[in-house]
Parts: sequence; C-alpha cells; structure tokens
Amino acid sequence: MLDELRPWSGLLSDRKRRPGYEAYAADWEGRIGAFLQFAPERPAGADAAPAGASHDARGDFLGVPFAVKDNIAVEGFRMTCGSRILENFSVPYTATCVRRLQGRGALVVGKTNLDEFAMGSSCDNSALGRSSNPYDPVRVTGGSSGGSAAAVAAGVVPFALGTDTGGSVRQPASFCGVYGLKPSYGAVSRFGLAAYASSLEGAGVLARSVDIVEAVFRSMCGEDPLDQTSAASGRSLLAEDGPPRSVGLIKGLGGLDAEAEAAYRDALRALEDSGLRLVELDLPLLDYVLPAYYTIATAEASANLARYTGIAYGRRAAEAENPADLVRRSRTEGFGDEVKLRILLGTFVLRSGFQDRYYLKAQEIRRAIRDELAEALRRVDLIALPVFPTLAFPHGDTGMDQFQQKMADKFTCTANVAGLPALAVPTGLSKGLPTGIQLMAAAFREDRLFACARSLAPLYPVPEPPSFSQEFLK
Amino acid sequence: MKYSSYVGLEIHIHLLTQTKAFCSCAARFGDEPNTNVCPVCLGYPGVLPSLNEDALFMGYRVAHALGCELSRCTIFERKNYFYPDMPKNYQISQFAAPLGGAGYFDFEVRGGIKRLSIRECHFEEDAGKLVHAGTMTFIDYNRAGYPLLEIVTEPELVDGEEAEAFLRSFRRLVRHLGVCDGNMEEGSLRCDANVSVNEEGRGLGVKVELKNMNSSRFVRMGLDYEVKRQTARLKDGRKVEQETRLWNENRDVTETMRKKESASDYRYFPEPDLPPFCPEEAFLARVRDSAIELPLARKRRYLEAFALTEEQAELLLEERAVADYFESAVALGADPRSAALWIVGELRAQLARSGVEIASCALDPGRFTSLLKILAAGRIQTTIAKQVLRAVLEENRDPEDLIAERGWERISDRTVLASLVDEVLTREAAVVERIRSGDRKPIAFLMGEAMKASAGRAEPGALKELVMERLA
Repeated sequence: MLDELRPWSGLLSDRKRRPGYEAYAADWEGRIGAFLQFAPERPAGADAAPAGASHDARGDFLGVPFAVKDNIAVEGFRMTCGSRILENFSVPYTATCVRRLQGRGALVVGKTNLDEFAMGSSCDNSALGRSSNPYDPVRVTGGSSGGSAAAVAAGVVPFALGTDTGGSVRQPASFCGVYGLKPSYGAVSRFGLAAYASSLEGAGVLARSVDIVEAVFRSMCGEDPLDQTSAASGRSLLAEDGPPRSVGLIKGLGGLDAEAEAAYRDALRALEDSGLRLVELDLPLLDYVLPAYYTIATAEASANLARYTGIAYGRRAAEAENPADLVRRSRTEGFGDEVKLRILLGTFVLRSGFQDRYYLKAQEIRRAIRDELAEALRRVDLIALPVFPTLAFPHGDTGMDQFQQKMADKFTCTANVAGLPALAVPTGLSKGLPTGIQLMAAAFREDRLFACARSLAPLYPVPEPPSFSQEFLK
Repeated sequence: MKYSSYVGLEIHIHLLTQTKAFCSCAARFGDEPNTNVCPVCLGYPGVLPSLNEDALFMGYRVAHALGCELSRCTIFERKNYFYPDMPKNYQISQFAAPLGGAGYFDFEVRGGIKRLSIRECHFEEDAGKLVHAGTMTFIDYNRAGYPLLEIVTEPELVDGEEAEAFLRSFRRLVRHLGVCDGNMEEGSLRCDANVSVNEEGRGLGVKVELKNMNSSRFVRMGLDYEVKRQTARLKDGRKVEQETRLWNENRDVTETMRKKESASDYRYFPEPDLPPFCPEEAFLARVRDSAIELPLARKRRYLEAFALTEEQAELLLEERAVADYFESAVALGADPRSAALWIVGELRAQLARSGVEIASCALDPGRFTSLLKILAAGRIQTTIAKQVLRAVLEENRDPEDLIAERGWERISDRTVLASLVDEVLTREAAVVERIRSGDRKPIAFLMGEAMKASAGRAEPGALKELVMERLA
C-alpha cells in the first residue's frame, strides 16, 4: 500500500477517527455539495474482497475509502446519473472498474454529483444537486465529473472515479487543482458506466498524487469479458522504456484567456526545465475535433438514452393513455434541457439521407485525426496541451453559456476522438484558482504520462483549498 | 393489358441456441413471463452486450447453405426505433456488412424447380412481447435478446403458391440444419413479404409490405389477395399506395397498417459496444465442415438411386433424423424400398403413438435392418414382422432373440401344417360340408382359421395347398 494511502486505511471502521472525518466532510459538503449520496457508515465493497484472503493479499487499498461518480454502477447505492429519470434507481450490479478496486479492499463511501448523464462542463446541469468549487464556491467545479474533483480537492477522499467522454475527468480536475487521468480507450472496462457516447468514453481517476492515480489505474485496467471493447492487458499497456525525452506543442494555438495562457506558457517552461525537448507540431486537423466530437457523441447519445422510458425501471409518468404515451411523458418529465438538446442533435445527424453530411463525415474526420496524432506521437513521446481556455468560471449567467462551454472542450476532446490517454496535471494557483496542463500520449502509453507528471511534481506542489486539512486521519 | 407480380420475402428465424444473443439468459420458449431476463436483455444502464458466438455460427451455417458469400468481417449496427417491448429502443442488427451476402435457394413448385435469389442474411436480436388484457398492457421480456437470423430474398416470386412452396422448403432446410424448429405458430419462423404489381415488362411496381402472416397458408392467402387487389386497382386505372398492410386472418383480407409518411427512419449506425466479428479461417472451416446435403438434393438422390416414390421421399425428408435413419439402414444392407416403406409406415406410426424420437428409439438402424433381412429371407410373416417391431420398441430386445424365444419363425414344415389343417377341418366339419356341396366361399374362412391356429406363422402358400388337398 502506498504510504500516502496508509492513514486512510480503516478510517471508516475506526470509531475514534470517524466522527472527525464525518464532521470534516459535512463541513465541506455544506459549501461544495460534491456528493449525491454519502454513506461513511455503510460503504460498499467490504464483501467484494475474496473471502479468507489475508490483509496483504487483499491488496493495496484495504479499507481505503473512495468516491464514485454517480453514473458508475455500485451495488448498494442508487445510480442517478444526476437525472430525475433515474433519481430512485437502485442498481443491482457493480461496474468492473469499481469491483476491481473493491477486490483490493477499497470501499465506496459515496456517489458524486455530475452534469446530467455526464453532459456538461460545469456540473450545473445536474438535476439533483449543485456542486461548487472548493477554491471559490461562487465558481463551478467543472464537469461533468465535478463532484469527484471537488471531493478529492477538499481532501474528503484520497481518490475518486469519474468518466471522461470529452474531458469530463480532466477539466474538473484542472478546475479543482488535482490530477485527472483519462485512460486509453479500451484500457479500462466500461461495464457499469451508464453510457453517453460509448465510442468516446471511459472511466478515469482523480487524485492528489500521481502515485495514487497510477495505482488506481493499474488496479482497474485490463480485459473484461463483460466489455468486448476492453483491451487485453497483454498489449503494450504500461510498457516502460525510460523517461520521455520529447514533448510536442501545437503550433498556433489560440483562444486561451490571459490566466490560462500564462499558466500554459509557464508549464511549457517547466517541461523544458525538466529536460524535455520541445517540438512544435503542425496539426491542422485539430480544428475539426469539436464538430466531429459533438456529431459522434450526440449520435451515440440519442441511441444510448433511448432506453430510459420508465417501463422496466426508472421514473415513470403518473398517467398515460397508452404505452407510447407513457414513454413520451416519462422522458419529457425525466430529462433536462441539455440532455434533450443532445438527443435531438444526435437524432438529426443520423437521419437517413443526412448521414453522409454529418455522422459519416465525422467518422472520416475522426479517422484522419487519429492517424495524424498517431503519426505525431511517433515523432514525440508526449503532446502538451492546455486543459481548458479558462480557469474555473462562475456559476450562472456571469460564467460561460452552454455553447461557449462546448467550444471550450476542444483541447480535451482530442484524446477522446483519437482514443488516446491524457492526464491533467495541476500547476499551482493563479489569483487563487487552480491551473493545469494536459499531457497526451500514444495509446496504451499511460506510463509516459506518469513519468512526465512525476518530473513536474517537485515544481508544482498540489495546491490546497482554504480550510483544507487532513487532521482527521491522525 | 397483362400484369406481372413481384414478391420478395423477409424471413426471421429464431436460432436454437442455449442462451440469448448478447447475454447468458436461457433462450427458451414458453417459460413464465420475465423469468429469463437479466440487466443486459432488459437494457439497464451501464450494461454491455457480449456476442454469443454459437448464434453467429448458426447464422453462418444458414448463409453457407444458401450459397451466400460469407462475410470475413461482419459488423453490428444499431437500428433505432421506439417500441414499448424494445428494452433499449434500438435493436442490435446488421446493415452495411451482414454476415451473408448474395446467394440462392432452389425449391420445388408446380412440378418443377425454381431458383430464388437471396439478397442477404443478417443477424439481429428479438424484442419482447406485448400482451394486452383489457385496459392493461403487459410486457414479457423472455424473448428480448433472442438471436434471430433474417433472410431477405429478391422479389422474384410471383404469387402465394410460390411463396408457400418456398417457405415449406426453407423451413425443411433450417430444420435439417438443426438451427431452428421452424414453428410459425410459436413465432420461431416468421415471414413478412413485399408485393408489387406492374404492367408486364415494366419492372417492379409500387411496393406494399405485408405482415402478420402466421402460417405458410396465410402467406399464400395473403399474397394472393394482395396481388389480386393491386392488379384490380391498376386495371381500374387507380394507383397502388406505398404502405404496410396486415393480413387479417379472421376476414381473409389485407388491411392498411401504416402509410409511407409514417414509416420509421431507423438511423442505423455501427454498434460501438461490439467490435466487428472477423472470423478466423478455423471458424469458416467449421462452417463448411458442418454443411449438410440439401434436402432437395437428397430427395433427387432417393428418387434416382433408390427408386423411391415421390411421397416416400418427401415423408422420409420431413425430418432429418428420419432420413438419416433410413440411410443408415440402407448402408447396413437394408433394401431401400422396403426400408422406406417400413419407416414411413409402421415405424412412423408406432413412434407417433409413443412419442419417442426415431434417433433414440430401441429399434436402431442395425436392429431394423436385421428385421428387414429376416422378413426378406421369408423367415417370418409380414404380420409377425409388425409384431416384432412393436416388441423391440417396447422391450428394447434384439429381433433375432425375440423371434427365437417366442417361436415366431414361419412354419413351412408340411407335417406340422397338415396337423394344423386337419384340426381346423375337423372342428369346422359343417363348413367343410358346405364347400364340398359346391359353395366355394368359406374356403377363405378356413384358410383364416388355419392361419390363426398357427398364430400367424404358417407359410401361406403351403397352407393353402394343404387346405385345397384336403377339400378335394
């Protein structure tokens, strides 16, 4: 077990320490609303450890609590996806990624808030709760894994799981000043993740240290018979061939606001200081990432969300004329505006006669982007990108509107469109708000992300929000 | 003006797998509603499909039997439409790259053979079933996720008779392949059709889809009705509307279900949860190795090589197990014609009575062949042979042993027969008297009595000779 996890082990079953922990968590909850469900008194996972296994064999997370985004199934908790339509849905199975951590002794302490069905970049699209940034509650956590990012940043859990379809782990991680890993597509089983855009998304990790991110990732990854798109762990996954030597930068990168731009430049200098050779890359196709991303994501979403009808499970309209009417009413009542918008967009781009113009073209662009990045990543070991064009923005009208938020996803969507691993690395504070940089590597080369992040770590100690404390661990 | 009609079929068959297409639930018909279900086939959030390779293997076997080009890389797609019995509101199906491409199927109709082109075979999952009861609607999801193969033909049939003949032959094919039970009433074989009529020589007309024909007879009636209806409209100078119609089996007519404008746009796109299925050479070799002789070819062989009657061949080929049994017996030396006669006659009747399958009955092809040989050698009478057949089935014994033990061999010894005949003539002295005074009719009666006295074992020729001698 990692030294930094050791104090967390057994915390929940420790009568002396638990009250302090609960008080600390409750204090933060009042301000940041990270959790939709929080149950330190009955965490999920103790049963998942193999019976009779010794403490050592049960692994690296014995008795360590963690939080799980509420679009990932954990038996014993509801899975709401931040939506009214699943508000009371008790899920009868556990996601493979969670189960693997439980198998090593980890305990799910709660389910964190998110944009409804992971559609958003602020967490404000949740129908069931409002989450705020631990550094400034007037500001958003980022999203969609905002609750997970806030809980980790506030020190309420040592790590949390999120899902990343277009930046949903990395952007909130960066807004809250923690590490956020989006693994290679297929590295971690998607079984148990309520699907939004199946070909783009996967489970990711948020933590305050690279070591924890890596340990969690290693525990979760590998082939799963329940997900036929999961990759065999026998592939080059986690290959190690020495530290990365070169990092690519995108030529002519623009659109960052002043703080984000300054932080990005500073991080590039830090990369150079840590011994990496900076190489300018010309990647003209990156301009097409966003339209391709939103076309594919909404197309898949329109099918993935068709199952929510209130018939076999979930919220059901109180009255209906007939089965078709029941479905219509349940969906009208159950979904929020952003979800409806994306379902409509996805239905639109898939219409017969229009597929050539939208969906099929997007797939073509996707292939081209994948090829362009694969080629670039043969020349350099890593690519460095901003995470988001701004730092954490305020809730509501003074912040970014839904369209601006989508436009701002362009740096994070790239990794999803190409299936590549990417890591958000915290790079300190600017005017009291966290900043970060994003590293991206070739598929199944997470090792390079970890190595580079480690070399940056001494330069950028992970920041702590006001009133951060880990006293309850003692 | 002469008109031509064009009929194409879309046939769905339930593949006889142990488990469903994408989960491990039992694929079984007739269980309590909603017992063979799990989060995957109920479309719960977060679950993913796992392809049942057995089901795909069966699909490839059908495609191969239809002479279709077998896909080296077949992909799954989502077919999107809302229906209350569809758990996910999309169906995992195939569109751009189905497992089987163009092929054909030969079948007999109107005394000849017709070749129908197959457009494609694709794999998909079934939906659940709605049950309406008064103002309530119930859903049974047991069927949701059943593996289906859809076979799409070109519109090369002309009427209901051809469609019915095709369907019967096709049903026999899938039963011989062992991939589907072919039961139309239970819905494990379903047939939709498209029909168009046009002036001769002017190609396809306006297409009408026809559904809800739950037997091959209804397929024939529905198509004939529809061809007639469309032809009549055209003759009247009216147009045929593009629409979907349902066969109403109570009124024997087709009725509008939905017009073209409300037709679904299925918005197909590749299923992101399933990688393409690109079978290795070993898989395709297994498909080829498990190919069977097509029932039609087999029938021609029976007529030519064994000189069976048309009817015998048809009856033998109704079930593959029966045909296999027949061929095993022939291979063991049974005379083909008498084997056929006995199988479609006495054996079939006895098995039907007891409900035992031919493949597992006590009269295996070896015993059956030895029985036929004993009969052919004249060692037993035909009626005794039937008795032996029944006894073997009931007691699971060897025919030779039974005949020996029960003394069922034919009696040809003249002294034995003579004493039997004398006994009967003495007992029936009055009848003998009538015959001697010129009434020949009761001779048959005396023969019967003598045969009865031998328990059916007497050699009829010798017996008759003796009776006639005594009466002379």
